[in-house]
Amino acid sequence: MFNLIRKDIVLVKPTLMIMLPILVLSLFQGPSIYIGFLFSIAIIMSAFASDEKTSINTLLNSLPYTRKEIVSSKYIGAFIFLSLVVFTIFIGNLVIHKEITIWKEILFIVCLVMVTISLFFPFSYKFKSQYLLIGTLVLFVLYLTVVNFIFQNINDKIREFVGMLLALQSSQLYLLVGFIVTALYVCSWLLSIRIYSKKIF
Amino acid sequence: MENVIELQHIQKSFDGFQLKDLSLTVKKGFVTGFIGGNGVGKSTTIKLIMNLLQPDNGTVSIFGLNYKEHEKEIKQRIGFVFDENIFYENLTLAEMKKIIKPAYKNWDDNLFAQYVKTFELPLNKKIKTFSKGMMMKASLTMALSHHAELIIMDEPTSGLDPIFRRELLDILHDLMQDGEKTIFFSTHITTDLDRIADYITFIHKGEHLFTKEFYKIEEEYAIVKGGNELLDRDTEREFVSIRKSNHGFEALTANKKRIENIFGEMVMLEKPTLEDIMFYTKKGAEQYV
Repeated sequence: MFNLIRKDIVLVKPTLMIMLPILVLSLFQGPSIYIGFLFSIAIIMSAFASDEKTSINTLLNSLPYTRKEIVSSKYIGAFIFLSLVVFTIFIGNLVIHKEITIWKEILFIVCLVMVTISLFFPFSYKFKSQYLLIGTLVLFVLYLTVVNFIFQNINDKIREFVGMLLALQSSQLYLLVGFIVTALYVCSWLLSIRIYSKKIF
Repeated sequence: MENVIELQHIQKSFDGFQLKDLSLTVKKGFVTGFIGGNGVGKSTTIKLIMNLLQPDNGTVSIFGLNYKEHEKEIKQRIGFVFDENIFYENLTLAEMKKIIKPAYKNWDDNLFAQYVKTFELPLNKKIKTFSKGMMMKASLTMALSHHAELIIMDEPTSGLDPIFRRELLDILHDLMQDGEKTIFFSTHITTDLDRIADYITFIHKGEHLFTKEFYKIEEEYAIVKGGNELLDRDTEREFVSIRKSNHGFEALTANKKRIENIFGEMVMLEKPTLEDIMFYTKKGAEQYV
């Protein structure tokens, strides 16, 4: 399985070579939470997309790997790419702004990415990642509708909520959130294994 | 004799196609050619053997092991070649090797280098620039570089020029010399089989029609030619199927000796090609439906 993760790293290396410098550049301005989130998702999904062709699935499944390992390598790999982005942000902030990134911010990025991946991966295994855009757009339209018709100030509320989370002192709450996110990630992992085992190539 | 591949009572249905109670075995140490027309289930069968598909019913056992418990162990011992490119197009062969090599315990770099040299493959060119023939050679190189005991190939010779086809058959022939390896390959170019196949497995419309030793096919089957007056309801039953014309009939028999006894000198017997056998068997199978 370690080989599968290493393969993903080799495959996204060209992407990383472009993305990481841009990531560092974008740290000069703007909050690192959203940048960190977007870059993590972009890198993780590009690693995912490189293995989506039927012919590549034929290859991976003909090699001595089990389907469980193939799926698991993606989930562990996602975590590695996420760490890489977070690490880059941490070092970037240290060098550029001479400040140590607040651990709450890092935790926030990690949780956000993990939740997103927990939704994206099973969806992409079931359908295809190319439909993610459509799926996300549909969600976005729904979101806008909700914002316009039901709570008109949802954006402010979310901003407030994020601010509140970051301002919170209680470490117990963080533990709880961490636990929920991890549980979601593991459930998504198991679900993806289930979906992938039934696929036909 | 030991069976390397054993499929028992396999059933698998898709939309508009199904394998019905397919059972077949592949013997260790021999080359088995897997023939049948287009869309009769050859690729599906190969996918079942590779565990790319799971049967709805029935059992698949490779080296006497099942996939449920021994998936990795089985795949370690299989070399595979598919008729399409299954490598990452944007990588070079050298990069592709780096990805495949760690998957196998018995990977042999010297052997890999040797095949690359024999096939004159470029290591640093992207795979998407490869021609069909080079692609095939690259697949074969990967399949042969980890001392696999069982080589499974899906239409390896389709789209290859005749010279390389012959070279390929020679390579396969050399591989078989130690008696430990088994080759199972599907093809619809039946002349390939004349050169190397020990056994022929023939399927039609998802059904296994026969697996026979190649030389026995030549002994048992014959093309029979004679006048139409020889045919009546009883004699027609002696044939797999018959093609009649105004000048006489041509038919395939699966029992050459019996035909010799019945008709003696009145008919002409010819050695059938595999294509004849496929053609008449298909025709015969359709008549009884």
